Formats: sequence, structure tokens, C-alpha cells
Amino acid sequence: MSRLNFQEKMLWAQLLGIVVVVAFYAHFLVHSGPGHHYFHALLLVLLFLFGGVRTLARRRSKSVIEDERDSSITSMGARWSNTILWLGLVVILVLYWDHGSMRSANFLIDILFHLLVLAGSVRIIRELVAYRMSA
Amino acid sequence: MKSPIRNTIRELRATRSMTQQELAELISVTRQTVNAIEGDKYSPSLEVAFRVARVFDVPLEQVFQYDPTGARVK
Repeated sequence: MSRLNFQEKMLWAQLLGIVVVVAFYAHFLVHSGPGHHYFHALLLVLLFLFGGVRTLARRRSKSVIEDERDSSITSMGARWSNTILWLGLVVILVLYWDHGSMRSANFLIDILFHLLVLAGSVRIIRELVAYRMSA
Repeated sequence: MKSPIRNTIRELRATRSMTQQELAELISVTRQTVNAIEGDKYSPSLEVAFRVARVFDVPLEQVFQYDPTGARVK
């Protein structure tokens, strides 16, 4: 019998997905020339793959896979993630006010991407820690 | 972190030779949640607490006790 429940397994899968995305992003920054957009394709493929596997696993599972403890841990992760996102958005606004412009759309997209990765990672790690602390 | 809510679920399960998985299915939670409740790591909602008491056919206070000092009630 598995020590991890469905939600925990999904969190580990998400963490692995983020590691793959960040590794590929670093590779993309160093090696890809202008006009290559494999990175965006990878992001979309990973999102669809994860969504598909999760839906399939939920349908195939006969026992309860999500309960009130999972919901309370998910809310905890969402609170941490929202805090990071809000802080990040405030920092972006302050940067904008300080410099008058964000230089380019790419700069803004880069910041937003890093902010999303950071908020996502913090949410996943916080939830995994909560699961281990209450295991 | 230990919860101030103590419980006798493990003992009640043992007297009925019931597994965590069986109890989990009867009260509609995961086996890991039953394990967390038994280990005083998670305080269930009132609804789940009542479901547990109903499964064992005992009063709620026989299953759950409030103990802010941390000493296990026997």
C-alpha cells in the first residue's frame, strides 16, 4: 500500500514538471537562436500531459482520492502562492514607477514567468511539507 | 505538530479487526487521513468525527477527547 496519497503523487509530478521546465528554459536561453520556440511547445505539452494523466487517474481510482485534509492543505499552499504573486506584482509596479518603463514586453514576460515559477514552486513545496508534517 | 484532539480510533479499530483502509472507505476520506487522525497529527471536521463515531456505534466523546496539555487520555 502506498505511503503517498493521490494528491501527494500529483505534487511530486508537478515538482518534477517544474524542474524539467526550468532546466529546459535554461537550455533554451543558452542554446536556442532567435525564432526557436520549443520552450513554449514544451510548456503546453507538459500542461496537457499532466492534466490528462490527472483526469485519467481520478476516473480510474475506486477509493476516495481527495478529502477535507487535502482541501485544507491545498488552501494553505494557495495562500503562500498568492502572497508570493502579490509581492511580485507590487515589486513589478514599484520597478515600473521607478524606471518609467519596463524596457520591453519581453522583460515583463520574463519577470512574470519567473514569478509564476516561483509561486508555483513555493505552493508545491509548502503542500509537500504540510503532508509530511501531518503524515 | 500534535493536535490537542486525542482519539481512540486505533483501539476501536483493533477491537473490530478493521483496517485503516476499511475505515477510510466507510467515512469517505483517504487512508492517509485516517493515519494522520490516529497519530493526532490532524484534527478532523465535526462531520468526519461524527461519521467515525457512527461507524463504531459509540458516543462522540468516547472517540475524541480535547486535551490541550498533550497527555493522552485513556
